[in-house]
Amino acid sequence: MTIDAILKRGLEKGLTDLQIYSSRNQSLKITIYKGRIDQHVESDVQSVSLRGIYNGKITSVSFENLNDENVDLMLEQLKDNASALTADEPALIYEGSDSYPEVKPNDFDFKSVPIEEKIALAKNLEALITGKEYVKQVQTTVYQESLNETIIRNSKGLDLKRNNSFAYAYAIGVFEKDEDTKTAYDIKLVKRFDEFDVNEMAQKTLEQGWSKLGGNSVPSKQYPVVISNERFSDLLGAFTTLFSGESAYRNLTPLKDKIGEKIANPLFELIDDPMHEKAYFQIPFDDEGVACYQMPVIEKGVFKGFFHDLKTASIFNEKPNGHSFSGSIDHTNLYLRPTEMSFDELIKPISEGIYITELAALHAGVKAVSGDFSLQAGGFKIENGKVTTPVKMIVLSGNFFEMINQIEGIANDLKFGLNNIGSPSIYVSKLSVGGDE
Amino acid sequence: MLNKETLQALLQEGLETGADFCEIFFEDTVANSLRVTGQEVTNTSTQNTYGAGVRIIQETDEVYGYTNQVDENSLRTLIKNLRASFKGASSKASPLGESKPFDNGIKKPMLDVAASLKVEKLKNLTQIMSEHDEKIIQTVGMILDRFQKILVVNSKGVYQNDERHYTRVILQATAKDENSMQQAFEGPGRFMGFEIFDAIDFKALAKETAESAITLLTAEDIESQVMPVVLHNGFGGVIFHEACGHPLEATAIAKGLSPFVGKVGERIGSEKVTAYDNGNVEGAWGRLNYDDEGKPTQNNLLIENGILKGYLVDYRRGIMMGAESTGSSRRQSYKYSPTSRMNSTFIAPGTDKFEDIIKDTKYGLFAKKMGGGSVQPATGEFNFAVQEGYMIEDGKLTRPVRGATLIGHGKDILFKIDKVADNLEFGQGMCGSISGSIPVDVGQPTIRVSSMTVGGAGGKK
Repeated sequence: MTIDAILKRGLEKGLTDLQIYSSRNQSLKITIYKGRIDQHVESDVQSVSLRGIYNGKITSVSFENLNDENVDLMLEQLKDNASALTADEPALIYEGSDSYPEVKPNDFDFKSVPIEEKIALAKNLEALITGKEYVKQVQTTVYQESLNETIIRNSKGLDLKRNNSFAYAYAIGVFEKDEDTKTAYDIKLVKRFDEFDVNEMAQKTLEQGWSKLGGNSVPSKQYPVVISNERFSDLLGAFTTLFSGESAYRNLTPLKDKIGEKIANPLFELIDDPMHEKAYFQIPFDDEGVACYQMPVIEKGVFKGFFHDLKTASIFNEKPNGHSFSGSIDHTNLYLRPTEMSFDELIKPISEGIYITELAALHAGVKAVSGDFSLQAGGFKIENGKVTTPVKMIVLSGNFFEMINQIEGIANDLKFGLNNIGSPSIYVSKLSVGGDE
Repeated sequence: MLNKETLQALLQEGLETGADFCEIFFEDTVANSLRVTGQEVTNTSTQNTYGAGVRIIQETDEVYGYTNQVDENSLRTLIKNLRASFKGASSKASPLGESKPFDNGIKKPMLDVAASLKVEKLKNLTQIMSEHDEKIIQTVGMILDRFQKILVVNSKGVYQNDERHYTRVILQATAKDENSMQQAFEGPGRFMGFEIFDAIDFKALAKETAESAITLLTAEDIESQVMPVVLHNGFGGVIFHEACGHPLEATAIAKGLSPFVGKVGERIGSEKVTAYDNGNVEGAWGRLNYDDEGKPTQNNLLIENGILKGYLVDYRRGIMMGAESTGSSRRQSYKYSPTSRMNSTFIAPGTDKFEDIIKDTKYGLFAKKMGGGSVQPATGEFNFAVQEGYMIEDGKLTRPVRGATLIGHGKDILFKIDKVADNLEFGQGMCGSISGSIPVDVGQPTIRVSSMTVGGAGGKK
């Protein structure tokens, strides 16, 4: 069934309004191990999500079996699912924004590059790391590409399209020195195949691996802590639900009723910018078809407002701000504003501290509603204003709300992660570090 | 659905250019979720996963492709694309056998259960949580059910249907006082239908969840230190899952990326430790009749009295290692090539008594409820979070503590287990690895680890 036929069928079945999100994903993944292809995966999958209003309630179904019989079954399921809802909440399908920001098309055809070149790239990357000093082996080398075409169309006349294509590659090196084993990798995401630079990737992986070897734990106590740009981006990512309009509506964020209040050190400025040029992707509209635009989240330490989808914007009597993604509320390109200060200047005042470059299991050691975190970590000692020897097997613990008040400094090294969150390195006056004593 | 002759012909296509193994995995899955917030139904959704994955192997080299176009022509095109990676003589696929029977013993399949019945159960549970204490400000109850139908066929003659019924009930309570907001969570799951509500005392669990959130309000942050840790039964088994389970999977072993490579027959832990991974525990969340390569699941002995006995092995990595498959090949969906994974993994019961273990501990942490964790098999470093903990002082449980994360090394931790109680229980979780996210049980009796690094934000004063 075509998209328009599904729309028609849905309205015939008694839905008041219906939106179709149709997505085709094609991917290729090559992994190399010891000079041979370990995995070679190709895919082509089309999936459809329907979001519809029935008797004043809105809900959704998604499916990959696109034959007519199953489409009918899923439309009936949508009605059943809507009928089960009892909450009295706004049910909205959007007619479209007046205008959308222009973005550069992102549609490089990775399929136009022969597969042999992709295999060669991965083999080359592996070979550049294999056999180097302290390299025990390369655990895996990955090349992955993804082409996505999405169409959003609804019964109110919305008709949007976006293409996205990218590829990434990395190699995980296993480094061993004396009894100490460490892994390191450097992931590179590109929009065009010729942007890969395997020499640079291999060099970064080796330097990272070498720098981690020979580390020890440290005695447990409070230390001044510097968190690297990449890791603070990860940590911010674990707390973004605090800024969600849905969390505010469900009483699941301490920031509810705090708009306009100071919640952080004035240095701390968080901005959601869908068009940020350093981010991996520019995002003109969300999955409900609402145009995205730049909005401050924390300005000079003051909380400015929540991310909304159509429903929560209506509940809080605000304009929708384009934050509906994959059925929940999420940021676009969120970043912490960098300063002019270099990393070296940032750490200069610290006589004894820890520089964190590794954090593990953020899905487990973070409690977003309370702001508490306690995470396996690794990094380096900071001694007399300089980064010195590696530190491993420690636990970094603190509270998000306390931490953003105890920010002593923010550097100029803004970097976006694959989670669409950008951060510079930051310096916190005191965090708890658990070690071997 | 394609008939057997067509499947036989497709498998043969896969072997025309030198490959020695071809497999097609078909899947049709429907997953539903229903959420009650307070006393209102706030969310419903249905997700259908449908397609086929084709795997072609020559010796140990593998190509995999997947699509939701499962007609004969689309699959033939996919197979021809994939087999182009291999060169060599054609070989003959074995004739497809008959699907072996299976008995799921499902009493009340979720597809037959009206939404109103699910809603009634959940509203009852959220009410119990809400009424437990006035500091409970938000309650959520969810039922997640998933019905997966698969057919796996391969050029060795395997033709196997299977049906998997997964039901999980999530309870979440949020408590708030003037100082903080805290959440507690329970998520038991079973290979069952609606009869999960007969198998588990959910009313007691709802009370416990609410009480746990309240306890966390008054709990202090634990202070970072090295100390003995008593890990309670059930989800405490996440320690074995992370520290030893993953490093015993052929996924890690075949590449030599595990502290346990080449150690079968050697001592890798204290005499108190015996551990299994069982693929066929009745009604268990991690259960399967047949694994995702069509092999019957079995009970695999991993460690006996501290001696390493075996690994978890799938077909392809079995060839690499010169080992038989242990019926442990799993994948999230047709979008993943399968690999060796855990099912229901547990430390076997010992002879110590829970009360005696606490009494015998002068100072330490009692980790009553565990959260998730992770491990890096190459280094053996693992971590997991404690959801609800208590200090042990002079053999008694004293004050509640929160925010503890425990870290350690897989190769040391088993030697440090000095007490194993007799109260084995399972806990349920979703486990992520290269073949996706799958339901698993972790399990253990209460155990004591003589010393661990415990991290927390306490002790600032």
